[in-house]
Amino acid sequence: MATYKLELKLNGEKLSAQVLAHENLLSVMRNKLGAKEVKNGCNKGDCGACAVLLDGKAVNACLTLALQANGKEVTTVKGIGTEDQPHPLQESFVRHGAIQCGFCTPGMIVSSKALLDTIPNPDRRQIREGISGNLCRCTGYNKIVEAIEDAALKRKS
Amino acid sequence: MINTRILTQEFDYFAPESIKQVVELLERHGEGARVIAGGTDLINQMKEEKMSPSCLVNIMNVKGLRYIKEDEGLRIGAATKLRDVRAYCFKSRYVALYEAISSLGKPQVWNMGTIGGNLCNASPAADTAPPLLVFKARVKLVGKDGERELLLEDFFTGVNSTVLQPTELMVEIHLDPPGDGAGNAFLKVARVGADISKVSCAVFLKRQGRTCTECRVALGAVAPVPMRVKVVEEMIEGREIEESLVAKASEIVSEEVKPIDDIRSSAEYRRQVAAVTFRDVFWKAWDRAIGGKN
Ligand SMILES: Cc1cc2nc3c(=O)[nH]c(=O)nc-3n(C[C@H](O)[C@H](O)[C@H](O)COP(=O)(O)OP(=O)(O)OC[C@H]3O[C@@H](n4cnc5c(N)ncnc54)[C@H](O)[C@@H]3O)c2cc1C
Ligand code: FES
Ligand code: FES
Repeated sequence: MATYKLELKLNGEKLSAQVLAHENLLSVMRNKLGAKEVKNGCNKGDCGACAVLLDGKAVNACLTLALQANGKEVTTVKGIGTEDQPHPLQESFVRHGAIQCGFCTPGMIVSSKALLDTIPNPDRRQIREGISGNLCRCTGYNKIVEAIEDAALKRKS
Repeated sequence: MINTRILTQEFDYFAPESIKQVVELLERHGEGARVIAGGTDLINQMKEEKMSPSCLVNIMNVKGLRYIKEDEGLRIGAATKLRDVRAYCFKSRYVALYEAISSLGKPQVWNMGTIGGNLCNASPAADTAPPLLVFKARVKLVGKDGERELLLEDFFTGVNSTVLQPTELMVEIHLDPPGDGAGNAFLKVARVGADISKVSCAVFLKRQGRTCTECRVALGAVAPVPMRVKVVEEMIEGREIEESLVAKASEIVSEEVKPIDDIRSSAEYRRQVAAVTFRDVFWKAWDRAIGGKN
């Protein structure tokens, strides 16, 4: 079977890999590009654990063929902020107890970053809509919503 | 239906840049070839092994398939992302389409999924279909024998089936201009937010004072294809609108739909909810119609 050359920018770094057409972005990220921060929850588009930014827009990597990302820029939670230099959203999640088991967090941060990039001062309804594609089984969402709201406020001031 | 959650079948892949190349690739690779736009329907169907194409032709790099423009109504390129259509239709004269896309999935789906994909997948529950039907949308198809245009009503032929030939793709969706005194609305009933519809309904109407001069009604998820309910439209057009008339019309809606029992709802439930949903959507569109004096 033919393999294809995949070229993309992952968190600012140019990378390439040989992939098969049926490999999805999620498995290529985790297994070929070392991006284990992208989580595999449902693998069918329902939970958002695998969310990444594709040219700045949140998409589910499990529903995306790796080749659909060819030539594009992919950003994961690690590209949004690092341990040394966390993004205000990441700090806010920690401060608000918006992380319990943490499995949903990489996707939640990705979706909330995408939200704040388009709506810098979202109201609660807009925040809920922004993370509506991300399931969390631990927090009950309120702390996540508060964390995002607070991060937006802090950024404004 | 089991979703294996992995793609097991191998296939060839192309990402051409022109409509002509898409058609050539579809022709060259025959029956096993399929178009992929956002892939949000197709990839899950492949994981469920409902679909096993031998070749995928990605149309997202094709020039001239992603646009929204006002030109004798609204023209939308088939590969336009749901996200962009939704943003455009917010507070527009096509607000029912905004409401339909808002109810359909979530940001990740709007960012990947396309309006053409929602139609070509031809789910009975495709949420953009009822509003597009009431806007009298026409779809433009291009294939090896050239171009043709038809009413969206004539596009669907059954569950997941359309008039599309193997070498054809949809290139444009064209909505009629609403005109003055028009109102429209969409509503869906689902188990939870962003789930597939149990029943969906869109209404387009025009009013002059208390009289409804034009009316179109479409429902989704209550028949093998998204359907217009023309008897109801005829009942309402040209009449003064009163509670009793709308109540009678909603009874006819529940007689006209042809729902099935499935995991989401029973047919009987769908019939009753179709009536109520129609009534609510009708009044919403009625209140929105400008030029109407109470
Ligand atoms: C979590 C989730 C929730 C969802 N919720 C809803 C919902 O509530 N309501 C709803 O209606 N849908 C829903 N969907 C389905 C889906 O997102 C939409 O139908 C979407 O619009 C499909 O567009 P696409 O570009 O991803 O299509 P694809 O998956 O790329 O294609 C779908 C089909 O159409 C064909 N096709 C696509 N474009 C063309 C074209 N231009 N010409 C010819 N053939 C073409 C493909 O060959 C394929 O058979 C949901 C999906 C997910 C993953
Ligand atoms: S793993 Fe992709 S949406 Fe759940
Ligand atoms: S913190 Fe556990 S799933 Fe969200």
